[in-house]
Amino acid sequence: MSDLSKIPIHTEKHAPEEARTNPLAGVFDELVRFAQSRSMYMLHYCTGCGAIELPPAMTSRFDMERLGIQPMVTPRQADILLVTGYVSVKTLKRIILTYEQMPSPKYVIGICSCTVNGGMYWQSYATAKKLSEYLPVDLYIAGCMPRPEAVIEGMRALMANIQSGETEPWKDYYQRYDYYLGNQQHLFGDNWQTPTDVIGQAQHYGLAGPETEGEHTRILQQYQQPLVAHKLRLK
Amino acid sequence: MRPENYQAQSHPPSNEYELFIGPNHPGIEGNYAFKLKLHGDVVLAGKADGGYLHRGFEKLMEGRLWIQNIALVPRICVPDPVPMEVTYSMAVEDLCGLEVPERAQWLRVLQLELSRIAAHLFTFGGHAATTGMYTTSYWGIADRDLILDLFEALTGGRVYHIFNIPGGTRRDVPPGFLEQVSQTLDYLESRLPDYDNLLFTNQVFITRAKDVGAMTQEQALEWGVTGPNLRATGLAFDVRRDDPYLVYEQLEFDVPTEAAGDAWARAMVRRAELKQSFRILRQVIERLPSIGGPVRAPIPNPLAWNVPAGETYARVESSKGELAYYAVSNGGDKPYRVHVRGPSSMHAVQVLEWLAEGARLEDVAQIMFSLDACPPEVDR
Ligand code: SF4
Repeated sequence: MSDLSKIPIHTEKHAPEEARTNPLAGVFDELVRFAQSRSMYMLHYCTGCGAIELPPAMTSRFDMERLGIQPMVTPRQADILLVTGYVSVKTLKRIILTYEQMPSPKYVIGICSCTVNGGMYWQSYATAKKLSEYLPVDLYIAGCMPRPEAVIEGMRALMANIQSGETEPWKDYYQRYDYYLGNQQHLFGDNWQTPTDVIGQAQHYGLAGPETEGEHTRILQQYQQPLVAHKLRLK
Repeated sequence: MRPENYQAQSHPPSNEYELFIGPNHPGIEGNYAFKLKLHGDVVLAGKADGGYLHRGFEKLMEGRLWIQNIALVPRICVPDPVPMEVTYSMAVEDLCGLEVPERAQWLRVLQLELSRIAAHLFTFGGHAATTGMYTTSYWGIADRDLILDLFEALTGGRVYHIFNIPGGTRRDVPPGFLEQVSQTLDYLESRLPDYDNLLFTNQVFITRAKDVGAMTQEQALEWGVTGPNLRATGLAFDVRRDDPYLVYEQLEFDVPTEAAGDAWARAMVRRAELKQSFRILRQVIERLPSIGGPVRAPIPNPLAWNVPAGETYARVESSKGELAYYAVSNGGDKPYRVHVRGPSSMHAVQVLEWLAEGARLEDVAQIMFSLDACPPEVDR
């Protein structure tokens, strides 16, 4: 196999933003945000029991589609990542892989008390307790489990935030990648790797800050391995 | 012309490949993964990959009081939580020698059957969606919500009720509740012809589901298949009838079976069971007002409840199959060991792997949904 790690990563920065002189720029931004908030595709990762209240919220009775929110099946086309309940360590790896594949701007909603603080599995050996230590969470919908009305109410709150331009935790993931990566490494071990080059992306978007790189990202390089195709492992 | 650095490489034949389905995939029931090895679109081998929902229930239960575990057990199987509470309560009652008042037993049957209807409606929706018929899932889930409304009126919770405790139930039915149940049953019964038109007599569904994921009765027995999946192979075995618990002995109902053992037969058995649940519920509505007495036997202070040492095995028929609890007490206020025998741990692992072999790729999701496997219960 070819050694993909030798392919240079495009790390050139964008030209610094020029001062916007068009008097209509503000209006245009607002229009974009309005459109963004009214057409949201959510990827509902059914991590836990809270997922059972999503089918009612999406189907005939509560009908989320009224708000312009539709389920989407692939991370590459989704805007919102719904984490519906407790996350076991094995699931959390998949959630992070999924999150990093989503295009920005992206939003994370933690449904259920279990994503806030571990909920009733606070003493379980198998679950990660606080989702916001591993991913930037926009909004929590607490409850065990939240009713469909609460889920929809949370969605509306997110829509309002997007429209007013307040919700930008996804930038936090780039700006403080070292912190998030450190927590991930603490849980999964030092050799934890994802195929996404987050630092490269941060530089590309011009979001790299002083906390993007640090002691944890240095460990990342230490364990970096070339990508190789897996052998067929089933009999 | 070939580039200079061309090197011939030997590859496995390109029509043989591996495909990962899940854990985040609409064709998978919940957070569960399945690895397939395919030749074209025929599955050569499948491997179930669970553990995404593991919370260590059996260990958690050892660290909590007997009464606290009531809040924990419904989380084991989310679409059908009532049998979990009832079976656990039955196990504790058996250990303590508690006698459950008759009215509480009828109330438990009422909840068990409502929960079965809700779970079956949910399954129809999922099964239909895997064959591309989304209307059934939209209607089925909206109709299931009516049952959840009933649960809300009775217990205050939509999905998790924490209503059955060792010794009986927490409360009695609220006024007017039985009429509400009766009206909902009327409505659901009037919907059955619609579901027939949409799904069960729909040629698309019949063509897609017949002869898919078929197993024989011998295979089913060997693999530990229970519940509707076993009855779809022609064996009329139902714990409610053959090892009656609560007041099922006094109730009249049939045990529907189908002979074919394929996905279609499993759907038809569930449909027939829906009717039997309506029948049971009507009998409960008729009998319940004439049964007086308390709904809960007096229990000791639940915070300092030392359950006598011993071991027990309690089993019920849940909507997925035979569900059982094996509980051991060493005389303390917490369980020494609780083991949950869930039906899905057989259905979603080895049965699914064996049935997927030789199936076509597009049928794998259907096989999983027709087995009505419940991933949280596999992983626990
Ligand atoms: S908060 Fe409750 S419903 Fe939600 S995942 Fe946790 S236990 Fe399940």
